[in-house]
Amino acid sequence: MKLEDLIAYGADVDSGLARCMGNEALYLRLVETVKGDDGFAQLEEALRDGRLDDAFEAAHALKGVLSNLALAPLAKPVDVITELLRGRKVMDYAGLLAEIERELTRLRAL
Amino acid sequence: MLKSHEKFHSANGKRLILVVDDEYVDRELLRNVLQDDYELIFAENGEEALGTMRELNETLSLVLLDLMMPVLNGMDVLRKAKTDPTISHLPIIVITSDQDAEIESLTMGAIDFIPKPYPQAGVIRARVRRTIELAEDRQIISFTERDVITGLYNREYFYKYVEQYDRHHRDVEMDAMVIDINHFRLINERLGSVHADSILRRIGETLREMMQDAGGFVCRKEADTFMLYCPHGESYEALLDRASIALSEEESDDSRVWLRMGVYANVDKGLVVERRFDRAKMAADTVQGSFTRRIGLYDDKMHEQELYSEQLIADFPNAIKERQFQVYYQPKFDIGPEVPALASAEALVRWAHPELGMITPNDFIPLFENNGLIQKLDTYVWREATRQVGEWRERFGFTVPVSVNVSRIDMHDPHLVETVLEIIEESGIDPYELLLEITESAYTQDSEQIIEMVERFRSLGLRVEMDDFGTGYSSLNMISTLPIDALKLDMQFIRNAFSGRRDTRMLEIIIDIAEYLSVPVIAEGVETEDQLVALKEMGCDFVQGYYFSQPVPAEQFEAFLLERKKTIDVLPIDWRGGRGEGRRKERLPFSKERRSSVLFGSVTRALAADYFGIYYVNIEDDRFIGYKPSERRNDFDVERRGDDFFGLLRETMMSVIHPDDAPLLLSRFTKDNVLSKLGRDGSFDLTFRLVLDGSPTYVTMKATQMEDEADRSHIVVGISNVDEQVREGRERGKSMLVAGRDELTSVKNGQAFHIVEEELDGAICEGSAEPFAVAVCDVVGVPDDAPMAGGADDQRIKDGCAIVCVVFKHSPVFRVAANRFVVLLKGGDYDSRIALMERLVEDGESRKSNGGALIVGGLATYRPDDDAEVSSVFARARDAALEAGRTR
Repeated sequence: MKLEDLIAYGADVDSGLARCMGNEALYLRLVETVKGDDGFAQLEEALRDGRLDDAFEAAHALKGVLSNLALAPLAKPVDVITELLRGRKVMDYAGLLAEIERELTRLRAL
Repeated sequence: MLKSHEKFHSANGKRLILVVDDEYVDRELLRNVLQDDYELIFAENGEEALGTMRELNETLSLVLLDLMMPVLNGMDVLRKAKTDPTISHLPIIVITSDQDAEIESLTMGAIDFIPKPYPQAGVIRARVRRTIELAEDRQIISFTERDVITGLYNREYFYKYVEQYDRHHRDVEMDAMVIDINHFRLINERLGSVHADSILRRIGETLREMMQDAGGFVCRKEADTFMLYCPHGESYEALLDRASIALSEEESDDSRVWLRMGVYANVDKGLVVERRFDRAKMAADTVQGSFTRRIGLYDDKMHEQELYSEQLIADFPNAIKERQFQVYYQPKFDIGPEVPALASAEALVRWAHPELGMITPNDFIPLFENNGLIQKLDTYVWREATRQVGEWRERFGFTVPVSVNVSRIDMHDPHLVETVLEIIEESGIDPYELLLEITESAYTQDSEQIIEMVERFRSLGLRVEMDDFGTGYSSLNMISTLPIDALKLDMQFIRNAFSGRRDTRMLEIIIDIAEYLSVPVIAEGVETEDQLVALKEMGCDFVQGYYFSQPVPAEQFEAFLLERKKTIDVLPIDWRGGRGEGRRKERLPFSKERRSSVLFGSVTRALAADYFGIYYVNIEDDRFIGYKPSERRNDFDVERRGDDFFGLLRETMMSVIHPDDAPLLLSRFTKDNVLSKLGRDGSFDLTFRLVLDGSPTYVTMKATQMEDEADRSHIVVGISNVDEQVREGRERGKSMLVAGRDELTSVKNGQAFHIVEEELDGAICEGSAEPFAVAVCDVVGVPDDAPMAGGADDQRIKDGCAIVCVVFKHSPVFRVAANRFVVLLKGGDYDSRIALMERLVEDGESRKSNGGALIVGGLATYRPDDDAEVSSVFARARDAALEAGRTR
């Protein structure tokens, strides 16, 4: 995975790199950890079981990480789902989850 | 999560920050941003975070807390932290992506927040840095303030600061240092407290700059003592030299005033901060009074000393209980009679220590004074001594009074008088049989309280002796206001006076002073017959020392008592009669009942300054006593006493006066003139030159009246060397003394004229004088003995001055007497001198309708053939002015 790949993916690489104080290796290493983050699975499971509190916590944590790394395509649906879950809104999250899954897969492919 | 906290203690001067966040990515980002400037420690959940905070509550500088965490979320951590007093002081910055939470957390005590996504690294670092700074300042400031004089930290702040510094610099070797000013009291006394404060400020400022450079810090501990804490260095000499620059030339010229320093290098950080500086102070004390060493280092020997002291303190309670302290008695002899007679004894304590053997008081008295144990010890001795006196009286039907030491610490006990009374009553002796020796050093602090206490003791029949007298100037001031029954000269004082180059002058002066006070003098430490004879000649009354006997146990002292009893049986003496230790012979030229406190205030202030001689003069019969405070080379002789002060002093002066100044002295230094000046202005002074050792030296003679209404019949006259000031002043042209200006009119004054006159005299002598004339202008209607300022004629004098200044606007005008201005005309004004004088007359004419002329003038022109000096030109001008005044 290279910076160019992330740019193509749609990440705001400038912001992400700035938070790493320009340290490209650190940035790439941290993005790499996102690919294997348990949080996505926890979010999905919690939603499937209807545990909205846990789902919110998982989404919130993901949101922080993704926004720090400026992975916009993935951060956007996570952001939306976090705000919905903050109000513990009971609804069908399948669409949002699918979008997250799709963007995550795209990221993992890099 | 890194578990080993210990290895993250800030060993290299970095502050320690706890980062609490459950997300690896977030932690890593913060680590990347902060690790260069800070030591970081991490926690992944709230519970762990609280544990770490409690464990490292003194070391942590900041907590970065993510609000959203498992187990115990950030908000709960915040709540718990702020209600736990052991960690509530730790500043916490919250990290959150929710704006609502920001506000809530701030109200709960978070100091700031960092949003998610993180702002730029610089923003994070700035917030962290600022938060730590604020927190540290607030923490320290909350319990302290600064020293008002120097603006430096005060002691409490400083100690806290040292503690905090150490927390963040565990592995840095540090030195604790104490700097103080030798004989600071002299500065205080000679130059006044305002000046003294400015010296403290200068030194404080210099030390602060130095410590800034060295990475250390400084505070003023108290009085003239500064404490410094900085990374270990070697160049203490250089450091002290640099600090000494703060003393001005004038101050450091006084060879008795300098900075000294104590160093405790590579401090043991296990010691509480105060103890470290105690050690530095101990080191400083080792160079006290040394002329050759300014820096003392805390070393192994001192460490042993410290351990020894600790043992003595630890053993003290048991020693009292087991009565290990023994009281010895050293006889004091009245040396007035042909055969010296036992007069009293001093009770002295010894410690028979079961392990350490006999310990001398020098080892434990100062120690016990420092920690207050002295009070217990003193009471023990008083009790034992009074019991002994009672026993002697019982057994022999006779005893002598015994003196006991009262430490300055005791003097602060409000119940002291009661305690002493109780002890006296217990023993059944009479109060007059107990003498209290109060050391000089006790008097120098809080003198009012001491005086009050001494008065109470004396009103109860006890007698009070001032012990260790003669070690400092301050005490001379003290005794003048102090009710005492005897002066006891410090042993060292006697030793110095008789050792090496024998110099007993100071001794004589003190004995003279005691004479004025009608107080007997007791000399301690007298060892030889030679000393005894000399002291007797000087007028010393009582002697104590090895010459007669060392301190001996009570049984041995009985031999002295019995010997004395034999004499008394033949020649009874009423011990209660008279003051002090015995009867007094009066040798005073003045009224014997007079114990002039004012006099001794003046005399002793003078003693501390650079006086050649001081005279106490009875202006009714001209009798006087003269003092010559210290040995100087090249002085004129100071008569010790005589009965024609003005005549004798004039004679003495005339024998060494600079010929040019002789007329000045003869005309001004007459009894009438001095007294009328004193009556008018309250003081008389005159500056002139004496030829001392071949070179002209400026001296000032000052006379002052006794402030005491009851004593208008005496004046004090002092003659001091002002040569340096005068010459410096002339060079700089700004000495108030010589080139000064007249207070009332702001034109130059008589001293200034004197200087100009002298320069011109020099030119005349060399034949290089330009043509000049002197105009003397007298203010009409103002007597020549009017006050220089503050009198009824002030306005008239000012108006007159204005006329003179307008007429002679290009020439220097001097006010040489209350009603007299002198103008020196040169150049253009010289050429038009006649016209100018006419203008002066015209001005007078124009005022005819308005009360007449304000100024009458006389002019005289320098005649190279006739005039050898300015004064003769001046005399002609003056005569002309007087003539003009008469014919007006």
